Amino acid sequence: MATEQLYNQTIIEEYVLTEEPYYLPLADEIEIFEAAYHQRVPVLLKGPTGTGKTRFVEHMSWRLGEELTVAKPSAKVDTSANGRAESMPLVTVACHEDLTASDLIGRYLLDRDGTRWQDGPLTRAVKSGGICYLDEVVEARKDTTVIIHPLTDHRRTLTIDKLGLVIDAAEGFLLVVSYNPGYQNAVKDLKHSTRQRFVALEFDFPDEEHEATIIAHEADCDEESAGLLAALGGKIRNLREHGLEEGASTRVLIYAAKLINEGISPRRACQVAVTWGITDDAQVQRSIDEVVSSIFP
Amino acid sequence: MTQYNEQTMMNIRTELGSFPSPVQSNFDRARDALTGRLADDKLDDWAQLGLLISKRTVRSWEAGAELFNASPMVQRQLPAGQFISWVKIGDQLCTASPSLAVAYFRASPGAIQRLRPRYISDWAQSCRALYRGTWKSSALACKLFEATPKLLESLSFDELRRFAEFLEEVSHRSYDMAGDALETGGELFPKLGRDAGAFIGLSNTVAKNSWRHVQPMFDAAQHSLVEMPREQRSSFISLVNRLSTKEGVDPSRVMRDGARAIGGVGHEWRDTLIDLTHRIAAEGSAEASSAFLTTGPRVLERVTFPQLIEWHSRGMQVMVEKESAAEAYFKNESVLSHEVLDALSSSVELDRVREIIRMYCRMLAGQEIEVQAAQQLVDKNIGWFQGELPTTEGTTIYLPKVINRHPSKDRNFAFYKVISTHQTGHIEFGSFRFSFERPSTMFTDLRSQLNSANGSALEAVPSEIEEKPQAETTSSTNGAVEKEGQDEHASIPMSRFFDLFPDRKLGNDVFTIFESTRVDSKVMDAYRGLAVSFKSVQDDALSSRPDITELPAREALVEFMIRISLGQSTDLVAPKRHMEVARKLRRLVRLMQREDALVEDAAEATIRACAWLTEVRNEELNEDEFEDLDDDEEEDEQEGDGEEEQDLQGLIQAFIESMQPGEGTGEDQESAEDSEDMEDGEDQDYSSPQEIDYRGEFKPELSQLLSQAQMQMMEGGEFADDDMGEMTPLTQEQLQEMMKNSADIDIQEGQDGEEMSPELAEMLENLLKEMQRRDPQAQSQPSGPMQHVDEEGGPLTPTSPDQHVYDEWDFRANEYRPRWCMVHEKEMSSGDVSFYRDTLVERASLLTMIKKQFELVMPEMYRKQKRLEDGEELDFDPMLEAVIDLRVGSTPDEKIYWRRNKTERSVAVAFLLDMSASTAEAIEEAKRPNDDWGAPDDPVEYMVWLRSRRTEGLRKSYKRIVDVEKEGVVLLINALETLGDDYGIYGFSGYGRENVEFYVIKDLDEKFTDEIPRRIDRIAPLHATRMGPSIRHATQKLANQDSRSRFLFLISDGRPQDRGYSREGVEKEYAVHDTRMALMEARREGIVPFCLTVDKQGHDYLKVMMDDFNYEVLPDVSLLPQRLLMLYKRLTT
Repeated sequence: MATEQLYNQTIIEEYVLTEEPYYLPLADEIEIFEAAYHQRVPVLLKGPTGTGKTRFVEHMSWRLGEELTVAKPSAKVDTSANGRAESMPLVTVACHEDLTASDLIGRYLLDRDGTRWQDGPLTRAVKSGGICYLDEVVEARKDTTVIIHPLTDHRRTLTIDKLGLVIDAAEGFLLVVSYNPGYQNAVKDLKHSTRQRFVALEFDFPDEEHEATIIAHEADCDEESAGLLAALGGKIRNLREHGLEEGASTRVLIYAAKLINEGISPRRACQVAVTWGITDDAQVQRSIDEVVSSIFP
Repeated sequence: MTQYNEQTMMNIRTELGSFPSPVQSNFDRARDALTGRLADDKLDDWAQLGLLISKRTVRSWEAGAELFNASPMVQRQLPAGQFISWVKIGDQLCTASPSLAVAYFRASPGAIQRLRPRYISDWAQSCRALYRGTWKSSALACKLFEATPKLLESLSFDELRRFAEFLEEVSHRSYDMAGDALETGGELFPKLGRDAGAFIGLSNTVAKNSWRHVQPMFDAAQHSLVEMPREQRSSFISLVNRLSTKEGVDPSRVMRDGARAIGGVGHEWRDTLIDLTHRIAAEGSAEASSAFLTTGPRVLERVTFPQLIEWHSRGMQVMVEKESAAEAYFKNESVLSHEVLDALSSSVELDRVREIIRMYCRMLAGQEIEVQAAQQLVDKNIGWFQGELPTTEGTTIYLPKVINRHPSKDRNFAFYKVISTHQTGHIEFGSFRFSFERPSTMFTDLRSQLNSANGSALEAVPSEIEEKPQAETTSSTNGAVEKEGQDEHASIPMSRFFDLFPDRKLGNDVFTIFESTRVDSKVMDAYRGLAVSFKSVQDDALSSRPDITELPAREALVEFMIRISLGQSTDLVAPKRHMEVARKLRRLVRLMQREDALVEDAAEATIRACAWLTEVRNEELNEDEFEDLDDDEEEDEQEGDGEEEQDLQGLIQAFIESMQPGEGTGEDQESAEDSEDMEDGEDQDYSSPQEIDYRGEFKPELSQLLSQAQMQMMEGGEFADDDMGEMTPLTQEQLQEMMKNSADIDIQEGQDGEEMSPELAEMLENLLKEMQRRDPQAQSQPSGPMQHVDEEGGPLTPTSPDQHVYDEWDFRANEYRPRWCMVHEKEMSSGDVSFYRDTLVERASLLTMIKKQFELVMPEMYRKQKRLEDGEELDFDPMLEAVIDLRVGSTPDEKIYWRRNKTERSVAVAFLLDMSASTAEAIEEAKRPNDDWGAPDDPVEYMVWLRSRRTEGLRKSYKRIVDVEKEGVVLLINALETLGDDYGIYGFSGYGRENVEFYVIKDLDEKFTDEIPRRIDRIAPLHATRMGPSIRHATQKLANQDSRSRFLFLISDGRPQDRGYSREGVEKEYAVHDTRMALMEARREGIVPFCLTVDKQGHDYLKVMMDDFNYEVLPDVSLLPQRLLMLYKRLTT
């Protein structure tokens, strides 16, 4: 590119992580994912928000990339100039309710000379052979699930009807989707025909000890605060389905820890980062505040 | 006396002779008395008048007789001229009515003593005014004459006259009432003293304004006014008077409430209170002032008097703006009033913070926790007695209704927080999860050893006691067990533990101290933010402890432990003689504060402490027999386990000895020299220490009993391996046995424990009920088979327009049974509207919340709708796509417009309520296993069975499932009216296929009218549950709606069942499959069905029935209203 690079931009399928994303395994999810990847079995990550689904995918893409780098240096995954390991390409698409199939596959664009085909992120991932991560896949419009199906079974193909093409997925391609089952009977749910194309990994909040470790690492804060925050998280989650739609995620606890690191008083930090974030109900806020003030001196 | 006179007299006398004898004899006596005291002419006049009176009418001789009778006495008090006028007045009265004259003359001697002569005529006039020619009026007038002497004792004549006026006023309405008032007045006036006049004034006002209130007011006055402090009485009467002139004021109520209010405040504020009320009255609102009097005392429960004045003055401002608002304000029914009070008051009411505390406790404990006023637990009468103390029974935290210990709200709330944290601590840190077998961490376990040792009390103590005994099941040869004569597993661990103690009360007290100490220190450790409040509460508790030196020795040591447990570390005194024990006890208490202490450690510590304590005689000690305990914590720590090990042998020995019969408080075994020392000290019966207010009541045995069910459920496997696992439900006898021993219940029993006191019996019964209610097994009875009936007969034919016939799915035959069920559609009859109103008031906060949420849905109705073939404007994205498509050469999509669509929300929903007999189950009541399925085959018997079940349900004052359904409907209606969705509410029940009842509470097309709330009231448990046809009928109704989205909400309490709703061998499935088919039919019509059930066993059959439909099983029935609305919102938006 001729122009001076003013900001860090990467072509989507070349987006790789150069540092190992921190991830603390809670069970055998890493082995499972690796096994699934080796067999190219698509993976479904279930769990409430802020339980580390996205981080896990990042971690896995880095980990698998490293594996490739080390085991098969000749593989298509680059080894960057300084020889440091890099991740597999990771294409992340956050799904929303207006996300249509063409947003994933690609569409014709107008330009000076007429029209030009532009691949969508999924297509590019399929072609380049990285991990395509569809976050909160249930949010997407129903027509998107249709294009997912042939990619997730033995065919591993992507049909682009506007071009009249069928693309075979590249060797390294793997589709990973996540969704938050939230409530057991929520109307928004994955169809069985869709969900039975994945191996499912359940994510839930880590136990107090692990969570404390995660908080301490992520926010780079002292053990004590991390421990207390983890305890707080556990307490707040007891209110799930009894006033709270979802408990406090590890993420908000990390935010609180970060604020505490900056010298904000712990009670206040928890209030702004945790309490106010997770609910608008004054009574629930008050009772969470009470727990905060019980835990934090 | 002149001759002439003599003659006249004789003539008169003769004439009088023609009347009954008293006339003449009275005349004789009077004449004798008067002769000489009265001038002859006057005497003559008198006699003539007397004769005249006697002759006036048939009965007037009685008046004459009375005249003559009274004359001597009256004459003595009156000058001659006035004496004759007195007679003349009598004569006038006699012309009106002889009985008046009789009463007049009869009352005169007494009356004239207290009456100025010049008032005699007025008096007679006043009384006479009551006479209006009827018998009743004359009776009243006579009564007044008669009462006059007595009345005049406490009234001036002027007051009397006004009283007479009042009576006259009242008598226009009712003579009886006037008569009563006269009577009551006679009793009342002396008691009122100088305020009687004021009261008469008031009576006049009331009689003029609202005569109906006269009677009640007099009644009220008898209590309220009489008991009122004299200083305030007159001003209060004038206040009532002032208010009584106003429309719509009930003076008796004002009087009662006012008296209560005035009596309730300190004497220095009484005048002010009346003055405040006067001020409201001055502004013109009587309603408001009387409300103020009523509300005052309640307000004063929360605020001080000066704060009340503040509250009042805010009210006065409101008054200036709007009178009716002021009324609500002073009734304390307005938001402003609440806010003002809240701001003024430093007390914290449980009701206001209950939700917060509930969620708080829930978060801490990580399990469902209810918060209730302690009084409610006391009312249940299952063994708790202190309405003012916090406590818990393992699932619910009970707290005092209001906290007003500190001058600031924050501190009062902090107290709430401390006590609820402590109670939650018992749950969170496992007080009730005590297991008999689980080893303690700090001690050698003595429990099991003692358990076996107790049985064979004199057997040698096992020699290798250092060996930690494994959790061996105590053999059935164990004497103790046999003696108790019950299956050991029927007992709860806590009871087994307390069974070890000869003195259960002591055991319980000591255990409570240890366990509370443990919980306290755990709480402080886990919730450091609370430590400051917690410490200050402990300090407060400490400062109100009794003086150790005033207690007998054993109690002093117990108190000593409490003080340590509350954190006292200096100035600790203990009995000199028992310094060693004190030191050991201190070590134990401190051990409980260690981080790793378990409830089992508390138990083991209790065994040790009790062994030592039983050896201490509970004797009175002088102050000088106490001394400070050296503060040698270090040493304490070091003593460590070594000492204990040596001690163990002795301990067990001591314990076993104390188990022996006849062993009291150390009479025999204690060394001889000890006894000699103690000759002076009388042994006291041991009594439990004064309770610690913030720790409240701790009843481990009862709580474990009550919470065991839940624990089994929650912890699943954990307890299965433990001694909990084999728990079988206790029978009444076992429970009784247990409770008799339990120190939790402090009821005096019959002498030998054979006879149960009625209180205890009632309590046991309540307890048993409570346990059944909690037992998950009992609640989730496996649904037994509905008696199978192979139904005969063929298709049905409707005979009237409100009958509808539907097919039924036979899943085994895999085809429909044509026209199999007949649905009778009926409009629900109207009931009372109060249920609706009450629910709205009770659930106001929930309703506002839900409405708010529902209102948020509204804007979405105006959402931009994209991809339309026609609309307001071109939608850029699709338009571009279309252009591109055109360029590329493919067929463009024509949907390239968008518009804001107002009618986007178009929802029709039908709610189907289960009105089957089982909804009569009280939600707090146990479901008896298999009861549902004991239904007889025979239709007649079946109806009888159902009806008996129904009445059973109706008898209960508890809330029933159906009530919760109703509540849900009420709230729903309100919320739905906000949204403007079309909705129908239907109830269904029925009996047999030809009798499916379908009640219309609100039809889909019907507008909401006042009629609907009335119909809701009538929702009641009826018969069986044949869901299929009801669903089909509702589907039919929905299918006729042209709304975009249509929903069918099925709210039920269990699986579908009905007579004949089954096929042989596949009973349950038949109903389930038909229901499922009905739901599928609904879906085929484009209707989204949803099933909400409160049947905890629901998951199994719902999985089949609802398969890929949405459904939810509510864990707690009471959540239904809330959940229903949430689901509705979620489903339809």
